[in-house]
Amino acid sequence: MRRFHLARLARWIVPALTLVSAFVAGLAAGVELALIVLAAGALALVIALIWGSVQSLTGESPMTLEEAFTVAQPTPEEEQKLAVMRALRDLSYERSVGKISEDDYQSLSARYRAEAKHLMARIDEELGPRRARVERRVERRLSGSADATQASGGKASPASADEPATGKSSAVKAKLKKKAATAGASITATSRKMTAPASVPCGTCGTRNDLDAHFCKSCGHSLGGQSA
Amino acid sequence: MWQSLPELGTGALYAVLVVASYTFAVAVAAGRGRPRLLPSARLGAYATSGLVLFAILLLAYGFITHDFRLRYVARYSDRSMPTEYLFTALWGGQDGSLLWWSFLLSLYIAACVRWLKGRYRVLQPYIIATLMMVLGFFVILMLFAANPFHANVAGAPPDGEGLNVLLQNYWMAIHPPALYLGFVGCSVPFAFAIAALVTGRLKSEAKNEWIVAVRKWMLFAFLFLSIGNVLGMIWAYEELGWGGFWAWDPVENAACLPWFTAAAYVHSTMIQERRNTFKIWNVFLICLTFFLTLFGTFLTRSGMIASVHSFAQSDIGIFFVWGMGFTLATCAGLIVWRLPMLRSTARIESIASRDAMFVINNWALLGGMTFILVATLFPKLSEWIIGETVTVGPPFFNRWMAPIGLLIFAMMGMAPLFGWSKTSRSALERAFAVPLGVLAITAVLHVFFGPKLGYPAFVESDTLYPGVLGLALQKIESAWPLVTVSLAGFNLTVIFQEFYRGVAARRFSAARRNEPEGVLTALFRLVDKNRRRYGGYVVHLGIVCMFLGFVGPAWKIEVETSLAQGESYRLGPYELTYLGPRMCPGNPKCSPQEQSDISKRMLFADLEVTRNGNPVGRISPAKFIYHAQPEQPTSEVALVRGLREDLYTVLGTADPASKRATFQFHMNPFVGWIWIGLLVLISGATISLWPDLGLREVGVWSYMRTAAGTAAGAALAVWLAMGPSTAFAAVRPRPPLPYAVAGPAKGAERPGETLPGIGGAALLGLGVGGLAAALRGRRARWRKAAGDAL
Repeated sequence: MRRFHLARLARWIVPALTLVSAFVAGLAAGVELALIVLAAGALALVIALIWGSVQSLTGESPMTLEEAFTVAQPTPEEEQKLAVMRALRDLSYERSVGKISEDDYQSLSARYRAEAKHLMARIDEELGPRRARVERRVERRLSGSADATQASGGKASPASADEPATGKSSAVKAKLKKKAATAGASITATSRKMTAPASVPCGTCGTRNDLDAHFCKSCGHSLGGQSA
Repeated sequence: MWQSLPELGTGALYAVLVVASYTFAVAVAAGRGRPRLLPSARLGAYATSGLVLFAILLLAYGFITHDFRLRYVARYSDRSMPTEYLFTALWGGQDGSLLWWSFLLSLYIAACVRWLKGRYRVLQPYIIATLMMVLGFFVILMLFAANPFHANVAGAPPDGEGLNVLLQNYWMAIHPPALYLGFVGCSVPFAFAIAALVTGRLKSEAKNEWIVAVRKWMLFAFLFLSIGNVLGMIWAYEELGWGGFWAWDPVENAACLPWFTAAAYVHSTMIQERRNTFKIWNVFLICLTFFLTLFGTFLTRSGMIASVHSFAQSDIGIFFVWGMGFTLATCAGLIVWRLPMLRSTARIESIASRDAMFVINNWALLGGMTFILVATLFPKLSEWIIGETVTVGPPFFNRWMAPIGLLIFAMMGMAPLFGWSKTSRSALERAFAVPLGVLAITAVLHVFFGPKLGYPAFVESDTLYPGVLGLALQKIESAWPLVTVSLAGFNLTVIFQEFYRGVAARRFSAARRNEPEGVLTALFRLVDKNRRRYGGYVVHLGIVCMFLGFVGPAWKIEVETSLAQGESYRLGPYELTYLGPRMCPGNPKCSPQEQSDISKRMLFADLEVTRNGNPVGRISPAKFIYHAQPEQPTSEVALVRGLREDLYTVLGTADPASKRATFQFHMNPFVGWIWIGLLVLISGATISLWPDLGLREVGVWSYMRTAAGTAAGAALAVWLAMGPSTAFAAVRPRPPLPYAVAGPAKGAERPGETLPGIGGAALLGLGVGGLAAALRGRRARWRKAAGDAL
């Protein structure tokens, strides 16, 4: 981990140092020296980069931080989902300014929503196994820390040491389960064909919400059984 | 080798070729099932960019130290040149401009690789490989045909030949980099398209994600193509002294060809994003845009078409022919190979839809491009076909480009009034009512009041063709000013109507939520939430301004006259009194700055200007005779700028004995609106390009990015806005005046003094950007807190 930090720092410090020394050299001895310093800095950077490239080619370097980051980057499906969401937003804007008729809006919006759901389902599908793995790890870790607390607690009563840990663990589990349930629901929702567009009024404020909405888009009140 | 700059530089170029080839190989390997090699390819791409940076720094060092062992340095600089023009000389000639091109490409490569990070992991290897190939092509070109590090065979001469004096101009210093940024920028979308074609990520809906990525890069390139072209116009207008800004010279035409296809792509990509159709068309447009950048470069550098300001003839033409052939073959082959994947089932549902409007607009843009291309190549084509060279001049271009341009202009106004997919009749009637009403009113007002104001609605032009057809065409053409002005009114109304409807809808829904919004708040939030859409409308507003500038020459007045000392001439509302000639240095009336200029002799003819009887100031058109190039005296234009018209004066000859002088006076209506249009266009494109910050991004990096974006935008705007003053002050020293002069601001003496301005703008930008990011971050935290609380 420490190596990563150093490498990361070096990536910023070397160019910064080059720029500063070029600036100082430029002030002290004119543009010529500044250019030479910059060129030397560029060359040093190139050598370091080629070295890094060859090292990673031969498999000698550990996974870089950048590589590790790539795991968390948005997938094509996520980017596409954003695009569809944007299209949906455009559509509702066009309805609000009266550019398209209500019927057209309903049919187009149903199409985009189906597409968005399809994409979300795919994202969930892809994330499913990873989520399960994370869940297992968290569980293992929590139970491990609970054991550790138990062991280090020594004389403390086993019940008091155990309780917070299991409490925490069960809370996490409940959260994870809730998420999984939502994901499952959205997957099943996708399989439903959106044929007849309709809406559900909110029981509290009366705003019309889409058929598959769980919460009111205006007041946030749960639509509960209404939407089913 | 290390003491010899020519050898070191050539060695650096070879190194670029080697590292680029290595990166290409590693990237292809990474794409073919060994993804662990991707980081290696990425580092290789950075290293290649670094090496090109090293090479350009070496050449800059050569210029600064006057190392005339380098043939290129000796040919394009001399010891008397100021430092800023020594840097300009980097791209002043053929060889250096290729290196400069590669340098900009390497900047794009580094930025693209950095931006890609973990995105598009499947496409990434091929994107890197394609970019390496493009860079490799230019390096091969330099190494084998136009090496800027070529040593002087006869050893270093005592002094260089100096840069062409016409190029020693502020606008010329920033025009090529801006235009090249546009040209080179088209390589990135091209790399994406090739990568998508090679990997076949085209078929299912989830897989055309690359189209989302490419749009911003293309918009960026489009922005710089626009800036570059308009800066070229400014340079031609101020430096060449013929009174106009666009002469349909092959070099200008070559520069505007990719602009048309990029504009078409920026629009048609929206259809693919929403409807998943037009895939073949979009891929074709991207490939065509890239091809046209190569073709434009080929046209200006091969000496194939005679042009007043193309580069010297050289043997790089054949390399370009091979390069273009290879590009064409690759694109065509890949598209045909992937045709089944590119075909889409969706069709345009209705002609009354924005999709259909975009298609018509695309065809008009492509039609304009094809017309310019064919007309530019006409001398060569006619030579091949009928065996004799037929050249076509500016009247021919103007005649046929006017209707095409007006069609595009009309489509630009109409398209936003339609909704996607289909629009009902009632919605269309509502949308068109006001703009069409304004169009009619503008037309009527123009017909009745235009002639009184000096801008008649109908302007007769010469017939180009004999017979009835020619006469009919002439009649239609005489109405172009009326059509342009009416369409400008229509377009303006559409844009304002769009903003008005958006703000009204926003305020309406806000009032329903019981959170009423003021007009300005609603406007700000509306634009903030739909940056692409409203940024696009602002760009349209810029184009409307430009069209106003383009139609201006229809009402221009040009006269050529000879005046004796003390004589006056009346031109429209202006009265010009000739005070007499003045040769500097030497004349006691010259300013200290003029007296100390030893690089040239300057012959000024002072004119006292009044407008409707009110004094405007004194202007001094001049002839400069540079000691380095005495055979090529330059005309220095003197201008009085205004929103209604520019007074443009050129000195023909001045006899020191009789003090008699000949002048050309031009009154150019509305030309200034082109430059204003450019500033509006830049701000619109900046709004569109403004990055969306996701919640997960809120952190130091997003602060930095927003700040850097704002700073760059502000600096660019300030730089451009300060341009005229520095341009005038740098090349046109003027006498101290008894009172304020319209036009260039006093104070900025040399371009170097813009540096504090840019620094200030950058600081201001950093401040504003930081504040915006901080507010955004706080808002995100609030939202998060609200979410947690729920």
